[in-house]
Amino acid sequence: MSGPAALRSEEETMPAAVAVTDTESAHIAPAHEPPAFGALVLRWYRLNRERLRAIVVGALSLLTFLIVWHLLTKYRVVFFVRFTNVPSPLAVYESFTRAIHDPKFLMHILLSCRRIFIGFSLAALVGVPLGLIMGRYKLIHEVVFPVAEVLRPIPAIAWVPMAIMLWPSNEQSIVFITFLGSFFPILVNTLHGMSLVDPVLVRAAQCLGARERSIFREVYFPASLPHIFTGLTVGMGVAWVSLIAAEMISGQYGIGYFTWEAYSLVQYADIALGMIAIGVLGLGSSFLIRGGGRLVMPWRST
Amino acid sequence: MSQIDTRPPRGRIEVDNFSLSYETIEGPVEAVSNTRIHVNPGEFVSIVGPSGCGKSTLLNAVAGFLKPTTGSVTVDGEAVNGPSAERGMVFQQYSLFPWKTVRANVEFGLKMRGIPSSQRERAARTLLGLAGLEAFEKHYPERLSGGMKQRVGIVRALATGPKVLLLDEPFGALDAQTRVIMQQILTNLWQRLKISVLFVTHDIDEAIFLSDRVYCMTARPGSIKAEIPIPLERPRQQSMMMSSEFLALRRGLMSLIREESLKAMGGEINELAMQGLSIDLHGHSLAEIL
Repeated sequence: MSGPAALRSEEETMPAAVAVTDTESAHIAPAHEPPAFGALVLRWYRLNRERLRAIVVGALSLLTFLIVWHLLTKYRVVFFVRFTNVPSPLAVYESFTRAIHDPKFLMHILLSCRRIFIGFSLAALVGVPLGLIMGRYKLIHEVVFPVAEVLRPIPAIAWVPMAIMLWPSNEQSIVFITFLGSFFPILVNTLHGMSLVDPVLVRAAQCLGARERSIFREVYFPASLPHIFTGLTVGMGVAWVSLIAAEMISGQYGIGYFTWEAYSLVQYADIALGMIAIGVLGLGSSFLIRGGGRLVMPWRST
Repeated sequence: MSQIDTRPPRGRIEVDNFSLSYETIEGPVEAVSNTRIHVNPGEFVSIVGPSGCGKSTLLNAVAGFLKPTTGSVTVDGEAVNGPSAERGMVFQQYSLFPWKTVRANVEFGLKMRGIPSSQRERAARTLLGLAGLEAFEKHYPERLSGGMKQRVGIVRALATGPKVLLLDEPFGALDAQTRVIMQQILTNLWQRLKISVLFVTHDIDEAIFLSDRVYCMTARPGSIKAEIPIPLERPRQQSMMMSSEFLALRRGLMSLIREESLKAMGGEINELAMQGLSIDLHGHSLAEIL
């Protein structure tokens, strides 16, 4: 607002609606001339200084990590922990260049990704709708919740023997364990999101003629989406943890199996390569989910 | 939108012999008791009263969110039976859908009615234009100021062409300047659409400035203490708030409410204590005197 005096005079001479758009829109979209290129760059720099610094510091930090790793392995430091057999970054890089031309290594990665994809997708397809329905209908919540609460604290790895008994093939039991790992975080977060839906929004929808199904689709679901995506992100992390554990114990193929096999075959560089591959895959998949979240919830990005 | 403008006057609200009580562990607590109000078609009626007097409860019962313990609520002779798009509601907390753009928010009621999207779009644009919000149709509510949010809220409630408009302290969260402008906008919309309005507020000036009639409620359990017609001529200007007529109405309502507010506070503060509040400090600070 441009001051009370100006406002008052506007009110008396113009229709109120017009006066308001003028004063309020000035706040949001101030009209200014297109600035020169140099000024634009400068302004961009000033606005993004923080982020630029974070990128530079992040890169330096990673570089320092590599150098420390290199020095520790080069001089075979033994100080509580033993770096005698730990592969150097260069050795790992070497085995990486070999591995990317090796179809077997790529198959390991592809198989792990496929297991994650199937296990995680199933968990999302079951967990999200179940959470939504449990959040809406008390009776279903009362029936399902106690069982879920008993099964939830059991780590997915503890399911390995049971999974082997339950499923006819090794592949299926690994997917099942991945599914279990991500299922509970997704379910719990969806439920949490449902419990936080603002009842006034539900009432607003009712006053606009929305029936049960529309309220579910237009209010409960979008209102819970932020928490659903939190659940998906956490679930994806746990899915990888469970997958790698399952692959190490019962697998043939898969990046977890590759890492364990490297240890058995005394190929130390491949251990680190397997670990880094797992890290990169985990990072990539959580990026995908975050990107998906931004796509599905455009109102949350500012 | 032409059907909204040329509709014959309708929307008579009648609340008769109305009481509402809540069950608690100590037994039922009466929030509103034996209340009778009505709103004529096209009339603007406000309910004022001390906080907690049940004025919002009464409004929520008209909206259909609460069922009366005794008595009846009817609109155009039909008993109110749950919320519906026939009674548009505006909330103090704006309650816009954050995941919908301004226009999608306004279109929501029409979408629920199954109106095709091109028609919805046209209707929403017209209404947003009336409220001076065309430029913001693609914005998400989060980016709007409080006054703009509430304008969207009002327009959204009007989009379905309701018989009556119910407002629950809609400007309570706005700053004084914005509130004045919003009152003007609401008056303009009301005069154009000739819709019945039931308006709940604790702001006496607001109630007088906007209304044809004002109901004043007693402290809990709430009932109607007085019904005051507001004979100020329309269109009303902000400058009227300084007229002797306005001030007389204000003084009358003020004393009615004050009595009830004191009662609502459980007699902790009596008239004598209130007089004590106007201590003459003679230019000293309060700390010095104490």
